[in-house]
Amino acid sequence: MKAVFIAFNQAHTERVEFILDQLQIKGFTWWEDVQGRGTQTGEPRRGTHTWPEMNSALMTIIPDELVNPLLESIRKLDEINKEVGVRAFVWEIVQEY
Amino acid sequence: MSIYKSAVNKPITTLMVFTAIIVMGIFALLKIPVDLYPEMNPPYISVLTTYPGANAADIETNVTKKLEDAFNSVDKLKEVTSVSSDNLSVVNLEFGWETNLDEATNDIRDVVDRMIDQLPEGVDRPTIYKFNTNSMPILFYAVMANESYPGLAKLMDEKIINPLNRVEGIGSVGMMGTPKRVIYVDADPRKLDAYNLTLEQIGNVISAENLNLPSGNVKMGQMDYQLRIQGEFTESSQLPELVVGSYQGTPILLKDVANVRDTLKDLTFDEKINSQTGLRMFVMKQSGANTVQVARDVKNKLEELKKDLPPDVKIDMIMDSSSFIKGSISNLSETLMWAFLFVVLVVLFFLGRWRATFIIILTIPISLIVAFIYLYITGNSINVISLTSLSIAIGMVVDDAIVVLENISKHIDRGSSPREAAIYATNEVWLSVIITTLVIVAVFFPLTLVGGMMGVMFNQLGWIVSITITTSTLAAITLTPMLSSKLLVLREKKRTGRFSYERTIEVLLDKLDIFYVKTLKWSLSRKKLVILISAAMFIGSFFLVPYIGTDFMPESDESRISASIELQTGTRVDETVKTARKIEEIIQKKFPEVTLVSASAGADDEGSMFSLFTTTGSNMINFMLRLKDLDERQRDVWTIADEMREELAQFPEIISTNITTSSGFGMGGGSNTVDVEIYGYDFNTTNKLAEQIKKDLSELSSAKDVMISRKKDKPELQIVLDKTKLAQHGLNSAMVSMMIRNRVSGLIPTKYKEEGDEYDIRIRLDEQYRSSVSDLEDISLMTPMGKQIKLKEIGQVSEYWGPPSIQHKRKERIVTVSVKPDKTSLGELAAQIQQVINKENIPQDVLVQVGGAYQDQQESFADLGLLLVLSLLLVFIVMASQFESFSAPLVIMFSIPFAFTGVILALYLTGTTLSVISALGAVLLIGIVVKNGIVLVDFTNLMRDRGLSLREAIVVSGKSRLRPVLMTALTTILGMVPLALSTGEGSEMWRPMGITVIGGLIFSTIVTMVIVPVMYSVFARTGERNKIMHLRKKFKFLENHHKA
Repeated sequence: MKAVFIAFNQAHTERVEFILDQLQIKGFTWWEDVQGRGTQTGEPRRGTHTWPEMNSALMTIIPDELVNPLLESIRKLDEINKEVGVRAFVWEIVQEY
Repeated sequence: MSIYKSAVNKPITTLMVFTAIIVMGIFALLKIPVDLYPEMNPPYISVLTTYPGANAADIETNVTKKLEDAFNSVDKLKEVTSVSSDNLSVVNLEFGWETNLDEATNDIRDVVDRMIDQLPEGVDRPTIYKFNTNSMPILFYAVMANESYPGLAKLMDEKIINPLNRVEGIGSVGMMGTPKRVIYVDADPRKLDAYNLTLEQIGNVISAENLNLPSGNVKMGQMDYQLRIQGEFTESSQLPELVVGSYQGTPILLKDVANVRDTLKDLTFDEKINSQTGLRMFVMKQSGANTVQVARDVKNKLEELKKDLPPDVKIDMIMDSSSFIKGSISNLSETLMWAFLFVVLVVLFFLGRWRATFIIILTIPISLIVAFIYLYITGNSINVISLTSLSIAIGMVVDDAIVVLENISKHIDRGSSPREAAIYATNEVWLSVIITTLVIVAVFFPLTLVGGMMGVMFNQLGWIVSITITTSTLAAITLTPMLSSKLLVLREKKRTGRFSYERTIEVLLDKLDIFYVKTLKWSLSRKKLVILISAAMFIGSFFLVPYIGTDFMPESDESRISASIELQTGTRVDETVKTARKIEEIIQKKFPEVTLVSASAGADDEGSMFSLFTTTGSNMINFMLRLKDLDERQRDVWTIADEMREELAQFPEIISTNITTSSGFGMGGGSNTVDVEIYGYDFNTTNKLAEQIKKDLSELSSAKDVMISRKKDKPELQIVLDKTKLAQHGLNSAMVSMMIRNRVSGLIPTKYKEEGDEYDIRIRLDEQYRSSVSDLEDISLMTPMGKQIKLKEIGQVSEYWGPPSIQHKRKERIVTVSVKPDKTSLGELAAQIQQVINKENIPQDVLVQVGGAYQDQQESFADLGLLLVLSLLLVFIVMASQFESFSAPLVIMFSIPFAFTGVILALYLTGTTLSVISALGAVLLIGIVVKNGIVLVDFTNLMRDRGLSLREAIVVSGKSRLRPVLMTALTTILGMVPLALSTGEGSEMWRPMGITVIGGLIFSTIVTMVIVPVMYSVFARTGERNKIMHLRKKFKFLENHHKA
């Protein structure tokens, strides 16, 4: 089992939901309206007058074999327009209840 | 959940809400009455008091003065003026515009109640008269007849007026100059004396004979009869056969001593329409009724009724206030349509996308229609003011939608789905959209607080623009995102044709961008020069100010001229009528534009309501002329009026003429005069001074229609009775004056009845026995002892001159010399007049002041100045809170002076005067100009916060904001173009506003795009340095830690 954390521009909301549905990923934790800023290129998303856009973030715990398809989909999503922005990070799950 | 998110997620609800608004708006639109101006209740109340038999001076001291003193206690009273003339005292009370007139009327009534005992006996109870624009006639008809003329009054009453009164919304229908049937008994005094009869005796006999009297019941058999004595005359021809006395046993018939005539009343008033005998009929509507509709109904009904009239009776329209209204309204509606079209074209030009244009344009009808709902709820009408307000608003209501849509399409082009783009893009801009709206509202809302006459116009303008702009903002953050989410799609990059938008207009716009960036860079490196040049331009424009005239209100060509012409006082009506005919001839010969001439000469002694508005007298002629429609003639109404003045100046018998071209109850009272007010008690001194001033002012080339308000002293015949001799004969003054009155004016002992109508039977001496001083002195009077004496035995008749009326203002006697400007402005004329007056030798205890419309103008400009300050302050407050800074609003406000430079230039180039309307335009400019600045500065701030250097940020934001600024400015400018260019009916009124806004906006937009960035860079540099220093100080702990 692996944890995938996806941080994305709110403008991608519907597409991210669609990707999860496509891969039949049921469980996730979703944070609406989170702030962020990209390490290399990403513009700040601060919800201020200067940087009015906002991100959302979600964490999903999925079987190992689903990780690659998910990351691939995310990459395709990012390809549409790099400016909008989406990133995914993967952790190992050590234990679960 | 935010409003725009709900709107996008529930498109059907959103659509339904706006559909509901539109439906309600259309419903309101159908119900709102159409009128020329908003309803006004001018705060004037007149108190009319009659004191029969008193002359002007008596009235002044015994009635007017007492009332004036008493009215002083009435609340909120602004000014008291009065006119005391023979038999009548009129006290005019002016209140502040915000006064509740019902309360004021009650106060006045209380005062009158308190005063009534202190007034002389014989004074009738004062009448309180409230003036309202609604009580002005809306239709004037000329009724002409030949054979039917004698019975015209009755005919009209039965066939026309009674049926017309049943039309819905009609207040009343009245007639002027109606011929009246009277039965005259002209007695021969010599025969009366010979038979030892008096006029009073004859009167008693006639009244005693003309009688029906119930005399009880008689029971006969089974019946009960009512007994009546039937003595009333059934034919006027019975009168001459009446036995009025006997002489030595022979009965004396009335025809033996008098000549009986059943005829029309003697001429004191002559009414001619196109030189034909006739009368005038006027129609007044009920308060709140729709003028246009009532006028239409009356006209239709009249067409029907005309069929029942004899063929020689013709009814022609003299004045139809609804046609000017309809003309103005349709003209303005056309203006509105053009404005709409221009706005559509501008939006399409800049966006190049049909769907986007559609979404933006949709906000226009929605916002405008809400204005109709407002008008309906507040009981207002569709009028010139409300329609003009709409055409001012039309260019501004799209601005918010443009901003929102632009951001949404930016997101869509970046690949977001339309739905999400709509939500998140709106989220990004909705606050700044609301702020810019607040700025506009900050400028327009103070207009709703303006009081007075100007308040009537400006309040509606203020409300309508505030409401439509607010609605447009609401639509921009709900309907626009919703429609964008449904209609906008990501455009595929496709091959474009040779004449496609991308290859033509967009190339042009790109070039413009590049040009602007170059200009901006150039000016940023020459800041001092740019500031210097702009300051020079601003200051330089002030040198043009002396060449711009000032005016109170622009006058409009209403295809109507009215002239009142005064002949030598004391002229007989017959002579006055002759002059009237001569003038008519000239008018018909030299002024082919005139389609209808209605002339009335003399005075209608019935003192109808209408005589409150026009001066009548045996020496006065009043003309009402109707001209051809505006587009069917070459000369405008002012040229015609000027030429008419010249023609009338040829008549030696004419003392003064006053030609007016407006209906007189439009805005600003319609009169554009400068009044020289001369206060002083002594008639001779003030008269002399007034004459001198009139003479000097007439020499001014810029003055015309110089008039003195005090009428010339009129000749009077005074009978001075010898009290001792009276007493010897057992007479007194009252008895003698009554007898003289009966013999000269006439005695009406009874009325002759025919077909339900009553006609006066008037007994008096035949005219030939009462038309000279010696005739009067020869009048026989009967003493109580039954002895006949001549008037000359107890008194003498002498001629003397007395003022026909005495005017007061602020309780002091006043003479005003009023002057109309000739090819110059009111302000300039006033200045010249002031110079003339300074040179005059003004006696002590006489005060001379310059007032009139000029004074109103000064007051109005002062009000507008205050409004300007208030608007500036509010705009500053809104901006300072938005930017959380004091310097940013200042930078933006640097563009305001250039708006005024533009206004001055535009007025100068078009030769328009600075009137209240153009000044208002200048005030409105503040909001529009500042809006551009906000857009620019806001974006520059944004760029700098995002880390761009100062210069870079300015250039980048300049380039990016150029199109939106141009677009909003162009929509407003082009929205105003139809207003500025319109030439139709009533357009004179609002053209200055269009010219002002267009001039100011073009100039200030160009300058703003350069001067605001330059000022920004000047102000921001120090500001930025301070900010960094400040931040460093705040987080000193980091450095401390380092050292340790």
